[in-house]
Amino acid sequence: MSGSKAKSEKSSTPTVAYSEIAVRNNATVVEYCRTSMAALSGCTAGLLGLTGLHGAAFYIFTVFVLWFMINLKAGSQFNKFFMSRKALLTNGFFGQLFTYILCWTFLYGMVHVY
Amino acid sequence: MSISVMTDLVVDPNIRGWVFLPIIVITFLVGIFRHYVSILLSSQKKVEIQQLQDSQIILRSRILRENAKYIPRSSFNMRRQFFNNQETGYLTQKREHTAPTMMTDPNMMTDMLKGNITNVIPMFIIGGWINWMFSGFITTKVPFPLTLRFKPMLQRGIELSHLDASWVSSASWYFLNVFGLRSIYALVLGENNAADQSKQMQDQMSGAAMAMPPDPKVAFKAEWEALEIVDHQWILQDIDNSLVDQ
Repeated sequence: MSGSKAKSEKSSTPTVAYSEIAVRNNATVVEYCRTSMAALSGCTAGLLGLTGLHGAAFYIFTVFVLWFMINLKAGSQFNKFFMSRKALLTNGFFGQLFTYILCWTFLYGMVHVY
Repeated sequence: MSISVMTDLVVDPNIRGWVFLPIIVITFLVGIFRHYVSILLSSQKKVEIQQLQDSQIILRSRILRENAKYIPRSSFNMRRQFFNNQETGYLTQKREHTAPTMMTDPNMMTDMLKGNITNVIPMFIIGGWINWMFSGFITTKVPFPLTLRFKPMLQRGIELSHLDASWVSSASWYFLNVFGLRSIYALVLGENNAADQSKQMQDQMSGAAMAMPPDPKVAFKAEWEALEIVDHQWILQDIDNSLVDQ
């Protein structure tokens, strides 16, 4: 997230202007984070040998962890970087699920099946 | 939860080393390879100046629509007049219909051919090769239970009716990789990589900013309509007051 700047011109009126490029850049960076997190958590789940609902629960858990970490990183200036917290949590949930399942299946197969 | 409970089938560890792992490595490397080959083959598209002008005008009009609230009404109207004026507007101008014919344009043909070479052919060749080379293996087991309807999807190439649905055959493992590695490519190669075929499709559908539709008339008409119905609200009405207050 470092190096990305979202410019928000806040005034006393509720109108907030977002810089289009910065918003897109932030979204890309978060997408990278999400992919990495899905791949890493998939590998972890595979190594741990989680099966069935445990793995699904673990995925949801890691999504929340990532959300929490982004919140922590953005801190009190959250509105400066992102438009809404909820979208940050839910975006790409199912898109990354495939990456997660692949990594999970891969390492589970490598470690536990044979 | 012991392992013996989970695995009701003993799989030869050699399959892991010679089938399971090679497939994922091959799929990944083919994606990387395709990315670089398509960079190598991609030619700078020759754009006609008229087309470029058209696409830039449409881009400008879109920007005007989106940011209309930051300029005063008179300025907005002035800009809109430039685009939408009945007689002299850019978007309303009459232009003779020149349909670029796809088949007669050699450049377009080469581009299509290159697209086929980098996208379709590897898909078929590698897929077919993997099917032929690694056919009939049970490679792995997905760590979650699946219903019987997934059997044809995950057990392509194995016709065993009593096999549990969560076992994956080698051919299906390849397809799982093809789809699952997409976001990994985005991570490794960057956002707009050529390894990802589905994204290119999306780009073609949505029409990237530079890509000009073959017939500018239609795009002009749509843009003209969109610009015509913009309801101008200037949000910086009392910007001077709020600035002084601060």
